[in-house]
Amino acid sequence: GELEERGKGWKRFVSYKGEAGLPREVEGLRIFVDRKSQTVILPINGFAVPFHINTLKNVSKSDEGEFTYLRINFQTPGQLAGKKEDTPFEDPDATFIRSVSYRSTDGHRFDAISKQITELKKEVNKREQEKKEMAD
Amino acid sequence: MTTQFENIYYGAGTDVGKIRFASSGMGWKQLEGDKTVTVSAADIKWIQWLRVARNFQLRIILKEGRRRETFDGFLRDDHDRIAALVKQHFSVTLEAKEISHKGWNWGATDVQGDDLAFLVSNRTAFELPLANIANSNIAGKTEVSLEFANADGGANGKKKARAVDELVEMRFYVPGTHTRDG
Repeated sequence: GELEERGKGWKRFVSYKGEAGLPREVEGLRIFVDRKSQTVILPINGFAVPFHINTLKNVSKSDEGEFTYLRINFQTPGQLAGKKEDTPFEDPDATFIRSVSYRSTDGHRFDAISKQITELKKEVNKREQEKKEMAD
Repeated sequence: MTTQFENIYYGAGTDVGKIRFASSGMGWKQLEGDKTVTVSAADIKWIQWLRVARNFQLRIILKEGRRRETFDGFLRDDHDRIAALVKQHFSVTLEAKEISHKGWNWGATDVQGDDLAFLVSNRTAFELPLANIANSNIAGKTEVSLEFANADGGANGKKKARAVDELVEMRFYVPGTHTRDG
């Protein structure tokens, strides 16, 4: 097991313990939502870069001419909306990825991706809420 | 022992081809077309093996300058054979570069040669070629944004239906009061 010690107050989460966990779909160099691992995998310069759903804040979509833009916003310090317990603000030196934007001529696909991410986020939030209620 | 591997991509290209290893060097040939790439054994400085989106990448760092050649599409099980081949033909050790797949959005940026690397727990999560950064902005004390050049050039109306999702911008939160030397 790969446990991370990064102060208290936030829960440890890891998308994949090793590269073998990456789903096959990443080969397509397209954004992929891996529900099973609660992770969104982004293609960045040929790398398959996972981001656990807990790091995500929301996603927005816009159309400009022939392109559809998808912007994924992450939880970072310095945002009023950020939930303190979800991110390791204890590390003052850390650089955070705040947002990543993609474009595509396939607006339908970005629409689907956007919905999948929003759904996954909702699902995870709901489960967290239920856990909290059980604990009370 | 097989010295040839199929379904290999050259660089960021989308054409598959095959690559062959020999004592003189390695050669890649496009499957549907005539494009070839050769890397001479004498030019090889070292070779890395790392996980990328299209399975594993063989990264050949050349002696001349900081130049390198990359080939994607190798399978996990190819590792041992490749390691043996590069040892036998080029007398280099295949160096495994560990990549983070933790899924975290925090870490550290580090300029490594011609790339800006993002490291999570001291492991590379991804690299951005500095040459692809078209513009950068600093907003406030803590935000840095990077805009990326459109690989197609865009302007000349080369409107090809790209199958990939194109990264156009990335924003970072950088702690404002912290200064880093080096």
